[in-house]
Amino acid sequence: MKPKTSVNRPPTPDVLENPPEREPTLQELLNIKLIESGEKERLMELLRERLVECGWKDDMKALCRAFVKKQGRNNVTVDELVHVITPKGRASIPDSVKAELLQRIRTFLMSAAV
Amino acid sequence: MSSNINRSSSEPISPPPCLHLTEFRSRNGSHPFRALQDCLRVKPGRASIRRDPHEVPRCSDCGESATSRLYACITCATVSCHAPSGGLYHAAAHATAMSAGHEIAVDVDRAELFCCACRDQIYDRDFDAAVVLAQTSASTLGGGPSTIPSPRPENLRKRRRVDYRPWSPDQHERFLMGSGSSPLDSDNSSSDLPRGLRGLNNLGNTCFMNSVLQALLHTPPLRNYFLSDKHNRYFCQKNGNAGNAEKRTANDRDGGNGNRNSRVCLACDLDAMFSAVFSGDRKPYSPAKFLYSWWQHAANLSGYEQQDAHEFFISMLDGICEKVERDRRKPHSQGSGDCCIAHRVFSGILRSDVMCLACGFTSTTYDPCVDISLDLEPNQGGSSKIATTTSKNSCAGESDCMKTGQTCGTSTLRGCLEQFTRAEKLGSDQKFFCQQCQVRQESLKQMSIRKLPLVSCFHIKRFEHSSTRKMSRKVDRYLQFPLSLDMSPYLSSSILRSRFGNRIFPFDDEPDATSELASEFELFAVVTHSGKLDAGHYVTYLRLSNQWYKCDDAWITQVDENIVRAAQGYMMFYVQKMLHYKATERQGAS
Repeated sequence: MKPKTSVNRPPTPDVLENPPEREPTLQELLNIKLIESGEKERLMELLRERLVECGWKDDMKALCRAFVKKQGRNNVTVDELVHVITPKGRASIPDSVKAELLQRIRTFLMSAAV
Repeated sequence: MSSNINRSSSEPISPPPCLHLTEFRSRNGSHPFRALQDCLRVKPGRASIRRDPHEVPRCSDCGESATSRLYACITCATVSCHAPSGGLYHAAAHATAMSAGHEIAVDVDRAELFCCACRDQIYDRDFDAAVVLAQTSASTLGGGPSTIPSPRPENLRKRRRVDYRPWSPDQHERFLMGSGSSPLDSDNSSSDLPRGLRGLNNLGNTCFMNSVLQALLHTPPLRNYFLSDKHNRYFCQKNGNAGNAEKRTANDRDGGNGNRNSRVCLACDLDAMFSAVFSGDRKPYSPAKFLYSWWQHAANLSGYEQQDAHEFFISMLDGICEKVERDRRKPHSQGSGDCCIAHRVFSGILRSDVMCLACGFTSTTYDPCVDISLDLEPNQGGSSKIATTTSKNSCAGESDCMKTGQTCGTSTLRGCLEQFTRAEKLGSDQKFFCQQCQVRQESLKQMSIRKLPLVSCFHIKRFEHSSTRKMSRKVDRYLQFPLSLDMSPYLSSSILRSRFGNRIFPFDDEPDATSELASEFELFAVVTHSGKLDAGHYVTYLRLSNQWYKCDDAWITQVDENIVRAAQGYMMFYVQKMLHYKATERQGAS
């Protein structure tokens, strides 16, 4: 008898039989450290707050609106939007925000003594 | 555009469903997202998808975990990255490489659905409902029915928005107008002041009243209401007297019911004042009749003492409403915004969400309000609130310092509003009774504005009463206020969106478009206070046809905008820039 196929499979972690042995890079190590300590979440929260405060978020919103208006609102996907707006967004983050975040990350590195 | 506006808006706008999602749903029966439910991790403010709480999700193809967009395939749970700018399209590649049915994925950090084939965000009512439910209560079974705020305030009934049609009198109306009225003499004789600007005499420490009255006399919707004879004092008094004859005898029987004389009608006195002020006469006017009526309404505040302008404002709106209510003999529905002109102009609805920090159960209440009282202490009040946003980390103090460093300059009205709508942790001394835990728990409270009034009155809490030190003081700090104010960030829809992400809310009953169009306000009156707590003076600044006027009791002078900006605002009146017309069931209410 054929076993009944599960219609609604629960998500299972994809276990690789032999994960490729690879030395994690320093960046990856840092990233994991940041996540595990919860610092990444705090940094994200700080960044969100700062970008709202300095008006960056409003600017992006305006850009997105303009783009959607230009394309017609049934004629635009999130992917396109991300693709078009991301370069402008990256370029227009104020230096002070970058500096503050960098400082926070430095402080974290010092305290974590990686 | 007009078709857009006229659309009867009972359903939230949902984009056309994506083909792949429809297919996916038809293939997976009634609970297509059941498997995801166990992976939903909810923190106050954010939902995410993790198989176990400490998982660091990474792309199964390239091992990348730092890119901002990681998607988990709903069918097989493979995590792939999707960074269109970097040229890596592993999520899309996964969708095409696998057999059909792997298109739908979920953003692991936002718990939002994405179609990898359409490369677009998709919305699913059931999925969003599940996430919102998980966010509002940890156990979907326990808190189920009561979580969704059930009874909507009455005036949130859907009403169709209609186009504005200017009124032009027909022949009969024209005849009535011609025979029943006389034209006002042209205004050029007296001065170059706009019509309706008339000083109000101080009747003995009544600058608190004069200042508020000046603002009300020039509140556009209120002015239009009275000047178009919607409340005729002669008519009202005649009707009132006839109708109240038997009522008065009943009153006499049970002791006269104090001074609640049914003939006192604040709206009538206001009508008289509007007539006097807009008559063209520029001699200062004495609102004695009004004052007397108000004393009868608010006996505890009568007398020639100094009063708080804000207290007067509240009490007098209440007075106008009470009388009109009594006459119409309708069930008291104050604050629903439909009861009387005072509440139709000033009444808004506040939404307050209190979330239990132990179980996540949220109780939502709606409260009508005629004004918004704002704290003027961003530094003091902020410290506890910032601690909640940065969630009990070791460096809360540090971020606190940065925050105060940012705001220590001047406080602004927007800052006050932000603080007003920020999630606030209720301390251990004011624990909230959680219906689900059945005990008092620490909780997170957040206010937002459910419905904006036509005219927003902001009251700045400059008079502080400290119960611990048993003393009061006045805060003299300067507050910067904008001439034009966008209220959309403080609306419930915006606050909820920042809390839950982009979702189709199962209970968000108002499409954004409505609120967004009506959220632009402009300043037209500022009531200022100078002096100390127990002795001071109120002065009102009015903006009429783009020019500022200072109304200091009987004296009216034209002033520069900079003087207004520098003034110490106590009450600020903003009016909606664009008024929207809605179809009503009752033609020409009251």
